[in-house]
Amino acid sequence: MRVGWSQEVWRLVGALMLSLIIGLATGRVRDCLLVGLAVMLALNLYGLQQFLAWLGASDGLKPRDAPGVWGEIYHRVYLLQRRNRKRKRKLAKLLAQFQASAEALPDAAVALGEGWDIRWFNEAATRLLGLRPGQDTGSSIRNLLRNPEFHAYLGAGQFDRSVEIGAPGQLGRRLSVRVIPFAGNQRLLLAQDVTDRYRLERIRRDFVANASHELRTPLTVIAGFVENMRHDGSAEARHWARPLALMEQQATRMQRIVEDLLLLSGLESGQAASDADDVDVAELIHDIREEAIAAAGPDAPELVVEVSTEARLRGGSPYLRSAFTNLVMNAVQHTPAGAQIWIRWRLDGDRGVFEVQDTGEGIPAEHLPRLTERFYRVDVARSRRRGGTGLGLAIVKHVLQNYDGQLEIESEVGVGSTFRCVFPATRLVFSANLEQDRGLAS
Amino acid sequence: MSQSDLLHHYSQQFNQELEEIRTNVLAMGGLVEQQLEEALRALVSGDVGHGERVVANDYQVNALDVQIDERCTVILARRQPTASDLRLVLVVIKTTADLERIGDEAKRVARMAIRLGTADHSRGLFLEIEHLGTLVRGMLNKALDTYARMDVAAALEVAKEDQRIDREYENVMRQAITYMMEDPRSIPFVLDIIWSARALERIGDRCRNIAEYVIYFVKGKDVRHTNLDQIEEELIRR
Repeated sequence: MRVGWSQEVWRLVGALMLSLIIGLATGRVRDCLLVGLAVMLALNLYGLQQFLAWLGASDGLKPRDAPGVWGEIYHRVYLLQRRNRKRKRKLAKLLAQFQASAEALPDAAVALGEGWDIRWFNEAATRLLGLRPGQDTGSSIRNLLRNPEFHAYLGAGQFDRSVEIGAPGQLGRRLSVRVIPFAGNQRLLLAQDVTDRYRLERIRRDFVANASHELRTPLTVIAGFVENMRHDGSAEARHWARPLALMEQQATRMQRIVEDLLLLSGLESGQAASDADDVDVAELIHDIREEAIAAAGPDAPELVVEVSTEARLRGGSPYLRSAFTNLVMNAVQHTPAGAQIWIRWRLDGDRGVFEVQDTGEGIPAEHLPRLTERFYRVDVARSRRRGGTGLGLAIVKHVLQNYDGQLEIESEVGVGSTFRCVFPATRLVFSANLEQDRGLAS
Repeated sequence: MSQSDLLHHYSQQFNQELEEIRTNVLAMGGLVEQQLEEALRALVSGDVGHGERVVANDYQVNALDVQIDERCTVILARRQPTASDLRLVLVVIKTTADLERIGDEAKRVARMAIRLGTADHSRGLFLEIEHLGTLVRGMLNKALDTYARMDVAAALEVAKEDQRIDREYENVMRQAITYMMEDPRSIPFVLDIIWSARALERIGDRCRNIAEYVIYFVKGKDVRHTNLDQIEEELIRR
């Protein structure tokens, strides 16, 4: 800078001195000084014009020499622009890398704005969701993914879970879709192709259903003949009495398992979900209690029923009966004679709660998470001895899933266990009369 | 007229109302798509449960139809829209009517499925009707996509597809007649299949209607009751 400036100053001083000398020589000092200054001004204007032309032509990216302070300016602008260009290139490269990695994702990713409008999506989204690059940016995702379950999912706003839908316009393809909120009102939608998993799941389900179905007839035949033989009364039959009794017992157990498996596969295929009776829970509990007392015989524990609400429960009556019966029977099996079991139907806030509390031996905590798995047993030998199928709690869980309910289990070893079915308010039905009473009371 | 014009409006709130209504129509379309899918599954796999669910859920389609019509009436009365806004409201009213009918046809297919049940009929005809069903489902999906994007070129494609469905329908009919001639005892069963095929063919016609509404909305040109070549010519000329 110094060099440029001093050069410039010396040039100015030189020009003025020259004009002054010429002025003194000719005797017209003022005019000569004016002409000298005008020439300097013209030169600088010319420099300015050159500078602008250079900036326009090359964006300051071609170095250029010029006399005086102009040279300095050219140099500095050139350096600045070069640095900018480098930074820009680096950023562009980063952005390209980021987009390339998002493109390479096997799952569809769609960035959504506040009103579900599409901001950006990757290549997999065009493949899986049928979005079109260019054309669909800005339109609402709800217009292009029209599946009712997906709309309900967006409406519900509970984004900690995913929803499974058929891929739009592609038969047989299943997607698991999830929305992830980020940075205020922005959302990211991820869709994963789960066709294979879905197909495997269905094959497994169909297999279990078909196998159980096929086993039913042979079992009925075997059990029937064994029963006939047992009650035959001949000497030979008496000789085989014990094996026959065992055979009958086991055949009955197998029949129960098959029935439970069929019930489960029915539940899994979602047939139960559309059932909607208004079930009178108090009456149901009464029936179940009678049944349990009859089944347990003389050493039955004491069953105490506490019903504190008249709310009815919306769901398939046979399925709910099966679930509640399973819970009560479990409690009866694990509670010694004379001890107490409470069966309750009450309201907790606006939710309905069916509860079975026993004073049995309790379940160690490590077993609780796996309790609803099929054929999972806490104590293998004893459970089989008592004729359990190992499917009871799995059935309970699936029934509850069909009716938006949740199973809660609390247990302490030596104190007892509590099994609680919690149903949301949407599943409860109050008769019109009751509604009015409640309205008056409050 | 394009998506961006749709979004560009003097009154932000009016604009939102129009968008909302369009989204409602498409949500109704999604429901109808699902109904059709389940009805077809019931028919092909003999799953009575699916069929019953379709019949039970038809009221939802009807409820949406009424609800959307009501909102359109409110917009017409309160905003008195003109030009493309007016066309949009008209198109919405017409489209919901067609969607509601498609829902009815799906219900009809489901009823047939329940009646046919799991009885062991010859599967040959089922294959034919499954093929027809796949075509119709694809067409409905495309028609709704077209509606979502207001895409004239795609609308023309959808309108053309109707001819394929008509051909496929004739195929099913020919097969059905052969079946009936071969074995008169199968006539009641084949008649049910024919009714289902007829319902599917009608759905194809309704999809074509929806595509034509899209052309009407974008181009302001009523192309109903004209043949396809004419439509194409008209659109190119403009």
